Amino acid sequence: MSWMNIELILLIVLPAGLAVIMYFSSAFNQRARNSLAVVGAGVELYLVFSLFIFNFEAVKNSDFFLQSTMGYSDSPFVINFAMDNLSLLFSLIVTAVVFLIVIFSTQYIRDKENRYFALFFLVLASIQGSILTADLFTLYLFIEAITIFTTPLISFNKTEKTTRAAMQYLFYGITGGVFFFISIILIYFNLGTLKMAAVAENFGLISTPMQLTIIIFFLLAVLIKLGIFPIHFWLPRAHSACPAPISALLSGVLLKVYLYIFMRLFWTMIAFDFLVELHLSAFVLDLALVSSLIGHVFALQADELKKMLAYSSIGHIGMILAVLMLNTEAAFYGGLLHIIAHMLMKSGLFLSSGYLLRTTLSHHIDDLKGIGHKNRLVFISFIIICLGTIGMPPLIGFVSKWFVLLAFLEARHYFGAFVVGAGSIIALIYYLRYISQAYETVKTESKTLREELISLKAFFKSTNIMKNVIYLFTLLIIFFGLSYKIFEMPINTAIFELLNPQKYIELVLGG
Amino acid sequence: MFTNLVFIILFMIGFYALVMKTNLIKNVIGLNLMEAAVFFWVISFSDIGGEVAIHKMGEEMTKFNDPVPQALTLTGIVIGASTAALLLTLIIELNKFSGTIDREKIEGLND
Repeated sequence: MSWMNIELILLIVLPAGLAVIMYFSSAFNQRARNSLAVVGAGVELYLVFSLFIFNFEAVKNSDFFLQSTMGYSDSPFVINFAMDNLSLLFSLIVTAVVFLIVIFSTQYIRDKENRYFALFFLVLASIQGSILTADLFTLYLFIEAITIFTTPLISFNKTEKTTRAAMQYLFYGITGGVFFFISIILIYFNLGTLKMAAVAENFGLISTPMQLTIIIFFLLAVLIKLGIFPIHFWLPRAHSACPAPISALLSGVLLKVYLYIFMRLFWTMIAFDFLVELHLSAFVLDLALVSSLIGHVFALQADELKKMLAYSSIGHIGMILAVLMLNTEAAFYGGLLHIIAHMLMKSGLFLSSGYLLRTTLSHHIDDLKGIGHKNRLVFISFIIICLGTIGMPPLIGFVSKWFVLLAFLEARHYFGAFVVGAGSIIALIYYLRYISQAYETVKTESKTLREELISLKAFFKSTNIMKNVIYLFTLLIIFFGLSYKIFEMPINTAIFELLNPQKYIELVLGG
Repeated sequence: MFTNLVFIILFMIGFYALVMKTNLIKNVIGLNLMEAAVFFWVISFSDIGGEVAIHKMGEEMTKFNDPVPQALTLTGIVIGASTAALLLTLIIELNKFSGTIDREKIEGLND
């Protein structure tokens, strides 16, 4: 095995090992713990990025493929990790955003809690595992691991509200897991294998009612985890109860990982034609669009800032899922670009809300009066990111929403196009509600903008890491909005992977 | 056929306890029953009346039960046990805050 194949396993083992060290980190001081966390996440990012850079030519020609196998290679039941362009794209963006979240949380989590980083890195390891695995049962294990490790993080600040939210999250998570288990067991009994590639080759041999059962159980499992409309109510509670970096992780990163799993299941493993044949794709499309509308409408009546952001997440995830179900090249382009955009924007919004809400009495809208005067630059960044989510021109949110809209129009699906537009307008209303509340005049001795700008000059000297991370997110959103063409090559190669699953199947089975 | 019937009945009892009962601990029991039903079904399906699949030197095995579903079930049991423990911990915590384990009485859980 060459170094690159070992790197694949290292991507999963490194965070897991770090988590063990972090658990015993009460032995050394806080500064050492924080730098270890940042260095660990940085090494992880370097590993993924080096895979991208050193294989740049291969990625460009869409023949990049890595795999590493553990166990006896001649038996059909081996632990198998594989990386193609799609997993590389997701691994890269997930690790980059998680790196920034780790930097933010070194200052946000002040007390000597060693539990936080231990669980955080375990979640990172399970995310990498579920992205890289090429085997259904390992995928099930990693999904369950994500659910189990995020639950204590949701109830991290022990109050009644967080405990309640964590319990509900766990109940729905396990129920989804049971459905997933039933589905993979059915596949095993019918085909005698759990390798995704082998399943993909032989899925057509299963009888049609059994295909329908398998697909429905998979859909149930993934739609519960994604928080799509009928089973969405656990999501805003869970995503608003936890500490801000964890909200960013759940809403910004984890939902996209479930979208990735959805794509792996229904494009690589079970060909999308089966969904179309069984009339399920149109159903999921409509469900996702309704979910998108409902998420945005519920965000209107949410009286807590983080709850509003979580409902808006439901809206965006519904939109992305709907556009992916169109199954055209333009739809994939818009969907994948919006996945990246929403990952950046929602993480930025949750992190800045975490910074803003530290000084307020509660998260309720009435307690946010004058918050814009108190933290000027942070709130301006918050507004910029909000505008990005609404879809203002120079920001990345506009570009991605534009492509989503184009994909809907190209497929002549006008209800979808309507939902994209209506979602933007409703989003404008509910963000304005909070922004106007934040600029209510209250008597405080506020700094002027000029003073704030002078303090910005001490950008690197200042110890306030949290603010800097928020500014960085804002700058990234503006920068990528202006030069979204950077993503064109990785996204196009990922689309190639989605449209030609045959390549993945042959390479996994062949090596 | 008989095992299928047992599976369906067990699963339905579990589902009933999960959805209809308001006692949170009964909900956890229902969830575990559902899991147990699935595991029972898997094991009974994979049993074709053969030998235990343990490789012995110098012996040819003609008919043996597939060990993979057994391995999957073992892993599933471990996951089920850990999630049940985590759920029960959360219920104890919740009981400390609100003094009840009734789902209807805990504010905001059922709205």
